[in-house]
Amino acid sequence: MLSSIFFRTRYGLGFFLLLCCMQAWAVVGVPELSRRVTDLTSTLSAEQVVALEDKLAAFEAQKGSQIAVLIVPSTQPKDIAEFGIEVADLSQIGRKGVDDGVIMIVAKDDRKLRLEVGYGLEGVIPDAVAKRVIEETITPYFKVGDYAGGIDAGVIRLMKLIEGEVLPPPPENQGDPQDEAAFMMTLFGGLIAGFVLSLIVGRLIGSMLAGLGSGMVAVLFFGLTLWLALFIGIMVFAIVGLLVGGRDWSGGGYGGSRSGSSWSGDSGFGGSSGGSSWSGGGGDFGGGGASGSW
Amino acid sequence: MFKRLIVLLMMTVLSGCGYNTLQSSDEDIKATWAEVLNQYQRRADLVPNLVNVVKGYAAHEKDVLTEVTEARAKVGALQATPELVNDEQALQKFIAAQGQMTSAISRLLAVAENYPQLKADGLFRDLQAQLEGTENRITVARNRYIAAVKEYNITVRSFPSNLTAMMFGYQTKPSFTVENEQAIAQPPKVDFGAAAPVNSH
Repeated sequence: MLSSIFFRTRYGLGFFLLLCCMQAWAVVGVPELSRRVTDLTSTLSAEQVVALEDKLAAFEAQKGSQIAVLIVPSTQPKDIAEFGIEVADLSQIGRKGVDDGVIMIVAKDDRKLRLEVGYGLEGVIPDAVAKRVIEETITPYFKVGDYAGGIDAGVIRLMKLIEGEVLPPPPENQGDPQDEAAFMMTLFGGLIAGFVLSLIVGRLIGSMLAGLGSGMVAVLFFGLTLWLALFIGIMVFAIVGLLVGGRDWSGGGYGGSRSGSSWSGDSGFGGSSGGSSWSGGGGDFGGGGASGSW
Repeated sequence: MFKRLIVLLMMTVLSGCGYNTLQSSDEDIKATWAEVLNQYQRRADLVPNLVNVVKGYAAHEKDVLTEVTEARAKVGALQATPELVNDEQALQKFIAAQGQMTSAISRLLAVAENYPQLKADGLFRDLQAQLEGTENRITVARNRYIAAVKEYNITVRSFPSNLTAMMFGYQTKPSFTVENEQAIAQPPKVDFGAAAPVNSH
């Protein structure tokens, strides 16, 4: 009896420890990149950050590749290469499957920097070239304390290099996977709302309200294009209108006063596809790139 | 009716008891191991070029040069097959040989520091950057392999998936161990005593 309790507690403890290990195993102390330029040292001025972000955003819109800049005080106790791959694994800069992301990491107090290059760009930015970008383009600026200039010059050279690679074109509408999810969500949300509404206020009014509502949600809340919104609205209207049995056209027992209003409250959020929120597209890294110091 | 129930039961038991996890983590191990081999191979391919460039400037550094060449030959002689992961002894031998190569290369690069002309050579600098990059990729690939083996081993060992593993003959797999880690990760020795006279004047 006693021994069995002992065993049980021991296994319980072991399991608990295992859980702890798995928790600790998750990457600790690495910032996730939610903007194209992340400056944790306030080295760059606000205007410089905005200018750099605009440049990177324009490049992403034109070529599809994501470039991110991260400035940290120090990567200690980690080596900058180890730190770099952890940042890359966490943020997954670059498009999924294309793996065309580059992360420039500057550890200011360590006087070290690293270019982390995604799998898809290892052909056009091999390690030796990454090293040259660091040594020939960036560090001359850093040596005289011009961080903004060095980063800018490095980014421009990286862009030129990536220009030379044939990559799949960027998607026509910005914010690709999010839009798809938003599209499906509004469509299904609209359908469900339509079914519910048509049970309450009747088929015609219900399907119309749902169609209008889902169209509005698509534009105001998710920032989809008008054409997509129109498409969603008509789809919802048609499906609900045609498929819902039950009540007659005239059978709405309730007044329509309370139904439409709930959608409009969502408009406060505004379009989410702006430049402020941004994340990696799922690109993979394998430790390619180079490190340097100044 | 009973048959159907049993099939249903088997399906739930197999998917619930880690059979699928075993399969996918086993594949993960194969993929990550292939990447480890790939990067080691890449390094082995770079070494002859490095030796040639260094020879051009520092041919009389015979010790380090032969050391690297021998390490390279030793690595080349080992059969780096995907099946290596299932053979603990062969794996340790492979790891040891690669570790020797790592230290031989870092010694060669340390020696190269003494030759300003060599250091300024564009080809040498490129090779050095490539080697650095490859070492880093090896580290990344090894870490991913270690993580994959860890996940697999946990599945094989923990209840109730250990029963499934036993039934289908899955055994825990060896990984890069700590002792080897230390031997391989040992930084090249830098003799500060030799550099001191420069500062003393």
